[in-house]
Amino acid sequence: MSDIEEIRFNVYNPVVTYEHRAAYDEIMSNLQEISPICNQGKCKALEVTDDPQKQKQINDLMEQVEFFSKSLSGTTKMFFDQLYRAKENSAESISDSTAHIKIEMIERNLLERTCDVRWWALEKAFYECISLANESTAAANADKAKEAGDKPARKRGNSSALDSAVTFACRRLEDIRKSYTLYRDLVIVSLDGKVIANSNEERRSEILGLDVSQEDWFRGALNTKDGTDYYVQDVTSSSLENVDSLIYSTALRKDGNEQGEVIGAMGILFDFQGESEIILNDYLPLDEDGYVQDGYLSFFTNSEGIVISSSDENFIARGVRADIPRANSYLADGGDTKISIGIVCGKSSVIVSKRSEGFDEYRGLGWISHLVLPYSSMFQRSDSSLDSDISTQELVNSNLIPEKNKLTYQEIERKKKEIQLISINGIVLATDLGNAGKSFMPIFDQITHTGDSVRGRMESLLSEMSSDMLVQNFKALENFSKQAVDLIDRNLFERAADVRWWSTDHAFWEALQNPSEENLDQASKRLGIINASYTMYRDLVIADSGGSIVATSKAENKDRLQRINVSEHSWFRQGKQISDSVDFAVQDVCDSELENEKTSLIYCGGILENGERKGASKGVLGIFFDWENIALPILDGCLPRLANNVVEGGAAFYVNDQSMVIASTDVENFPVGSKFDGGGENVTLEPGDTASGLFTQNGRRYILGSSKTKGYREYGGLGWTAHVVRAIV
Amino acid sequence: MLYSTFKLGNTFVGVPITSILEIPRSSVFHSVRGAPPVIDGLINLRGKIITVINLGLAFGLEKVEASEESRIYIFKNDSEFKEVADSDQELKLSEDNIGLHVERIAGVISVEEKELQPIPKNMVHPYYESVVRKDDDFIIILKLSKILNLEQDSGEFHE
Repeated sequence: MSDIEEIRFNVYNPVVTYEHRAAYDEIMSNLQEISPICNQGKCKALEVTDDPQKQKQINDLMEQVEFFSKSLSGTTKMFFDQLYRAKENSAESISDSTAHIKIEMIERNLLERTCDVRWWALEKAFYECISLANESTAAANADKAKEAGDKPARKRGNSSALDSAVTFACRRLEDIRKSYTLYRDLVIVSLDGKVIANSNEERRSEILGLDVSQEDWFRGALNTKDGTDYYVQDVTSSSLENVDSLIYSTALRKDGNEQGEVIGAMGILFDFQGESEIILNDYLPLDEDGYVQDGYLSFFTNSEGIVISSSDENFIARGVRADIPRANSYLADGGDTKISIGIVCGKSSVIVSKRSEGFDEYRGLGWISHLVLPYSSMFQRSDSSLDSDISTQELVNSNLIPEKNKLTYQEIERKKKEIQLISINGIVLATDLGNAGKSFMPIFDQITHTGDSVRGRMESLLSEMSSDMLVQNFKALENFSKQAVDLIDRNLFERAADVRWWSTDHAFWEALQNPSEENLDQASKRLGIINASYTMYRDLVIADSGGSIVATSKAENKDRLQRINVSEHSWFRQGKQISDSVDFAVQDVCDSELENEKTSLIYCGGILENGERKGASKGVLGIFFDWENIALPILDGCLPRLANNVVEGGAAFYVNDQSMVIASTDVENFPVGSKFDGGGENVTLEPGDTASGLFTQNGRRYILGSSKTKGYREYGGLGWTAHVVRAIV
Repeated sequence: MLYSTFKLGNTFVGVPITSILEIPRSSVFHSVRGAPPVIDGLINLRGKIITVINLGLAFGLEKVEASEESRIYIFKNDSEFKEVADSDQELKLSEDNIGLHVERIAGVISVEEKELQPIPKNMVHPYYESVVRKDDDFIIILKLSKILNLEQDSGEFHE
């Protein structure tokens, strides 16, 4: 081995376990005994024979043994160092990806929030209500100016129109909050900064009339340039709530026109604490009682390094700077990562910090996801016993063991064999000397014994390391599969929320109740606006109660879709049964003629008479999720990687509740439409469970991690499982 | 007496240490066109030309391929053997130095005379001399007089 690395993990490093130190000591003391033995052998050679050629032969052998034993001590040091480096690398890479998962989870969620607020601001009930409120304020101000004595009779009439507009706006805000359970409240605000309507009934009496004109989120909303723009106020206090708020806002514009004059603002109060609690507590190891293990912490900081959410506020308090190394608090934009070792809460810890890259068009707020774990945990032996499905030999030969470690082991093996060979030749020489040579026997015995025992020790270290690597890989793959299933469930939760809310749109029920060309065009136009605001739909359609498609978001699809009757399609038949606006239905991934037999995932909601919350079905809104384009990037992001490259033979795929592959990053080995039956218990998981194991596909051995959906919030999931696999040969 | 043991497939076989001249580190040999198939070729050991027999082929088994682990045992010729051996040993080798290409060295064992057992009747093989039991393993001691002189007998024991 020519490349000489600095030895970082020698036996004096406190992370080296007692067992390893003992093994190292034994190997070294064995090897150190070789030198005196060889000197003894050289002296004996002079005693037992006068033949100078024989003397030289013995001398040469002894020198060779000395040479190899010295070089074996060097290799042993290297081997221990590499063993610990391998453990460290693997632990760091898992922590790094965990920190990344967490920040990505939250950013993906927030991207949805920016879409939501922009879309909702176009709602007729809101801009009409705010227009009336502004007029009423203007009239009141004019009256005040005119003098108090003159009682304005016309204001009465206006005021009752405003009252009913406020009631209706509150109702629509409630509808949104019922469809999207991620919000604590939603408010609309008049131009002068007074809260006019809100969604949360319980808090309504405190909120209505509140002056928010000095709050950032309100001012930011008024300054948005058009309907595509939004403002976000980072986690901070607001007069709207007693807890810190994360508020997304945008302007309400005249007549709901994206370019129209600003007439007010809409603010949506995201349940950041609830959401981050779910995300922060995920992926932390639990003890037997179900509590997060000591020394493991997870928290987010904002761009100023202030903690905005923490998995354990007793250790990492909210609202202050976290007591972590400075370098971890300030990271560069663009997904910068920092891994440090330092003291956190009195414990020697590894601190992994990952700055947000935002997600998609959402640039994020420069938050950082931090993960703290006990430093010693990186080097712990994995306690789970090795899976019997794999032999140590197969494992040692697999690509889970870094090539470098394998080469070092082979080097040890080679040196051991050299020593063995020298020793046998020595015995041959000694035997030729007859009785005189007998005194050499113990020397060669000792040399042979040392070679064997060193190699034996190394072999067990290597197999120990292999099983640790396997366990760590299992854990990593389980994490990835959990991430894959969580991300898709969260995404589909949003789709389920979207479809429920959109189904209540007045343009849709009006068009179905009075299907004039104008009304149908208006409905198509609305669908078009929705589709333009969201990136994840291929199309949105409205089918009337007979199953004819009467409106579509894409004008170019109109002629083709109008010829198709969907009354026998599963999504339509389910959607037709819906009589409550909080319900939705879904047609699991399959090929649909609506999309030229492309794989479709269709969510649908019932369009109810007069837009009531409960009522008779007038038709169905179907939304065609852009399945591959959403699922594949998620799966791709969950592939096992080494130094940013996907590992050879790595793949990720979803299967439905029939174990049929519905999206796959490796269509050659795990084609869409095929049944996946590898991995024993991994195919029969309970909701929310993860598992790992081994299987063989197309003659190749793989390890896999699997995670079955547990749904997300009130969205139950479709019984899918995510599998993330890695070939080991 | 000491024996060096090595692997023949899954079987341990042994030869007396006294019969060995040397086991060189390198096992490079030069193949010779027209030589019997059991002969791997020739090696040059300090000026001596030595024929190398492939142990696997000699037994009609799979050929021993040259590898990092494979070794060539070089045996003494008769006169070298007589020079050094204790007089009580009766071992017939070959007139020339012969090499035996083996898959892998196993180790060195010490065997008492009384431990050497005759080969069971139903297992008799021309190259087997005796059998020794060590712990859980049986070790077959090779009949070097036969295996090293096989050019005289070739055809007799081969398919």
